[in-house]
Amino acid sequence: MNATARPTTAGARAQGTALSARILPALWAAFWLLMISASLQDAMRNPRIRWWEPVLWEGSSALVATGWMLLAVKVRARYAIYLDRPLAWFGHYLRWLPLAAVTFVTAVYAIRHGVYALAGRPYEHAGWAFIFVYETVKLILFTGLWLGILFGVDVHGQWQQQRNRLLRTQRALAEAQLAHLQGQLRPHFLFNALNTVSALMHTDVERADRLVARLSDLLRISLRSGGSEMIPLAEELRTLALYTDVMRERFRDRVTLEWHADPELDAAPVPALLLQPLVENVFKHAVERTLMPVHVVISTQREGDLLVLTVRNTGSSLPPSFDEGVGLRNGRERLGIIYGGAASMVIRNEADGVTAIVTLPRDRAA
Amino acid sequence: MIRAVIADDEAPAREKLAKWLAEQPDVELLGAAEDGLSAARDIEQHQPDVAFLDVQMPTLSGLEVAAQFDPASAPLIVFVTAFDEHAVKAFDLNAIDYLLKPYDRDRFARSLQRVRERLQSHESGAPAVAVGRESVANCKRLLVPDGERLQLIDAAAIEWIQADDNYIHVHTASKSYLLRRTLQDLLAQLGNQRFVRVHKSAAVSLAAIGSLSPLFKGDYEIQLRNGRTLRLSRRYRDELFARMGR
Repeated sequence: MNATARPTTAGARAQGTALSARILPALWAAFWLLMISASLQDAMRNPRIRWWEPVLWEGSSALVATGWMLLAVKVRARYAIYLDRPLAWFGHYLRWLPLAAVTFVTAVYAIRHGVYALAGRPYEHAGWAFIFVYETVKLILFTGLWLGILFGVDVHGQWQQQRNRLLRTQRALAEAQLAHLQGQLRPHFLFNALNTVSALMHTDVERADRLVARLSDLLRISLRSGGSEMIPLAEELRTLALYTDVMRERFRDRVTLEWHADPELDAAPVPALLLQPLVENVFKHAVERTLMPVHVVISTQREGDLLVLTVRNTGSSLPPSFDEGVGLRNGRERLGIIYGGAASMVIRNEADGVTAIVTLPRDRAA
Repeated sequence: MIRAVIADDEAPAREKLAKWLAEQPDVELLGAAEDGLSAARDIEQHQPDVAFLDVQMPTLSGLEVAAQFDPASAPLIVFVTAFDEHAVKAFDLNAIDYLLKPYDRDRFARSLQRVRERLQSHESGAPAVAVGRESVANCKRLLVPDGERLQLIDAAAIEWIQADDNYIHVHTASKSYLLRRTLQDLLAQLGNQRFVRVHKSAAVSLAAIGSLSPLFKGDYEIQLRNGRTLRLSRRYRDELFARMGR
């Protein structure tokens, strides 16, 4: 599912750097110390070579390579999206190899010649054509090695990030399902609905029968286990319709509903049970508290790449110190987990009532 | 004849109860209210023998309605509720009649039979009033006669209360209301958070007190913020001082 398959690049960066911030520099330093000491040992067997010469050779290579490595680390957040396609990932890095080879050889030999000139010694090496080929082959080997390490570190970071996300998503969904189950099976809701059935049986058997059917559908949905985190918008609206049908029988003339659902958005994935607490609140805080008819408008619409879900009601207002219930808090939390900062839930007073607006990216999660 | 009123904000439930009561040869249904305030007005107007009050209603809950009445003259009250563990516990504890929704004919008939028996033995609604008051300790709204109808006023708006034979005057900044109650009973309903007795026939809201000045023999004079002065008798002095934190 989209919601869980892709971490945000920001998330990958945060996780990736947490690990590699410690590991990469350590590995890099160890690698170059090894190179310098190997070169030193090699040179000690040759009396004509001063101790500082191998240090200069490897040191100059280390210096220029570190520059390129820093650049590689700098762009990895941008390349993180290719981590699930290794060839693309390596391809993006290797594009720079020709430029890296030329600058590497030029810069390294410029440094060495400069230092030798300052020391008043000649720097002897093979012809430029050979040097260039030799150094380029070496560079390709080491680049391959280090890109491999970088890839490993980043993939590990991303994996960890995804696993954490998945765990958090699952936990939040489990909480939402529990809250929903408690909401539907909340004794208050159930007993009142049963009472309405019992009352209707003496005045209107057809209505009583219809209400029992609705109530059963709703309980079936509540009890359906292993629900998925994301469901098509149409399904969420169907659950809401069942719930409002039951409540409307209880409060008959005291509530009117108006639906504006854009049929094009029926298949759009939305977090399951996101709107339910918003509609429950309308009944709890408006319909049940006043005899004035309450008008409820539930609408879904598209605004560019965004999906805007609105639940608007008349006949109530948020108190100054408004404490969000479990349902709303959970909904907000899940929006954060699934969409990062790209989704929002706003609840505010409007002229003659309360409006709740949920805004989500339309097609996919973050 | 049993004279009855009912109150339930949900139409189907109200209709069922009204229908079943109307079917009883010995019951006369005088009112079917949709909310607590209307129920209280029905009770005030019809002085019924029994009131069936839904617990969950807009304006005033069934318990709040019960709390408003003088225990001595309150009708029998049968609370009707779908689910309210707390209230049901209180009903059981105080032997208050209640009907659990949904109910069938059997249970309804049993409940009505108990009402008949209680009426025959001249029981009053006092226990129901007591439970109502207990459940809404420090009642925030008071039902007062205002012209023809009962109105709800905020307990916080009351400045002082004056007893006058069998009546009491409830004074707010803008208006005074005359109630046929005892001061003691009204204070019991309002709870002791806001009001304090200052002498045998008066009580004031703590918030309305401006200043105090000593008179003779331990009595004091209270200046209310609205300019009126009242006497604080020494019998109630210590309690007032304690409540004012002096």
